[in-house]
Amino acid sequence: MRRIARYTAVALILGLALVLTLAFRRDPHDIRTGTVGRPAPEFTLPDLSGSGSIGRDSYTGKVIVLNFWASWCIPCKEENPALTEVWERYRGTDVVLLGIVFQDSTDAAREYTARLGNTWPSAVDESGRVALSYGVFGPPETYFIGRDGIIAGRHIGPIDARTLITAIEKLRTAPKP
Amino acid sequence: MTRTRWLILAAVLAVTIAVAWSARPHPVTEADRVARIAAELRCPVCQGLSVEDSPSETARSMKALVATRVAEGRTDEEIRAEFQRSYGDWILLSPPLLAGSGLVWLAPIAVVIAGALFALDRTRAPATALADPSADDVRELRELVAREDRDEEQR
Repeated sequence: MRRIARYTAVALILGLALVLTLAFRRDPHDIRTGTVGRPAPEFTLPDLSGSGSIGRDSYTGKVIVLNFWASWCIPCKEENPALTEVWERYRGTDVVLLGIVFQDSTDAAREYTARLGNTWPSAVDESGRVALSYGVFGPPETYFIGRDGIIAGRHIGPIDARTLITAIEKLRTAPKP
Repeated sequence: MTRTRWLILAAVLAVTIAVAWSARPHPVTEADRVARIAAELRCPVCQGLSVEDSPSETARSMKALVATRVAEGRTDEEIRAEFQRSYGDWILLSPPLLAGSGLVWLAPIAVVIAGALFALDRTRAPATALADPSADDVRELRELVAREDRDEEQR
């Protein structure tokens, strides 16, 4: 009886140590999301330019780079040259760059795009529902959606041109669904 | 019955009535449900705060979405599942028991059981038996006692 109790106690302590070891091995900066690997949520939002609306379903069969941004977000300004480079590079191809304005006023967002000369389409997520459906923590955040409509990846924080192009090319060369 | 006993009886009765009154079933309003669900959701842009407790804009958007879903007649599970789809189990302040993160609930139980077994093991351990003194030990002891007695008498 004593031996069983002793072995059980040791087994429980070892089990606990194993669980804690596995838990502490995780990178706390690796913020997980439930949406990567799943179909990208649909949305239809007003176009920031004031003309019509932008819907994800308008770009079915294309590679979509969905960038959540705000005019008050300093890292968004930091990544803007990379987005501009990618927009110029893939303009008119099967790759679409879409911006989603996150927790910002329409006027401030318009002033920001005009000042930086951004010409890619952006939509206004007034209620923040689209950001919530994608699992956004805060801007800037960039989602890569494949031709099959599945979210292939996500980048938190300012992104550079190389990361953008690598992710886009990976999706472009993926077999068509 | 003495006066003191009557006072104790009255106090116990008063506490029982108060507990029963506070625990009485009452209709749960939509606002109650929204507040309860919001209190179970983690604010994504805060440090350990629930959506209910956070004043951030993200938390307000989340609470507004919860209110909309409650008004639409969705169940609590459906609403929680919607946020889990977007943010994973992380969005729940209390991780579900049947997920990998649910192991965290087992940790304190494992510690208590292991501690109890360890304590049981120690308390049941037989006291170390003292070896019987050898004949030499007894003889030496008797000589020592005799010597001390003699010294005592001389003093």
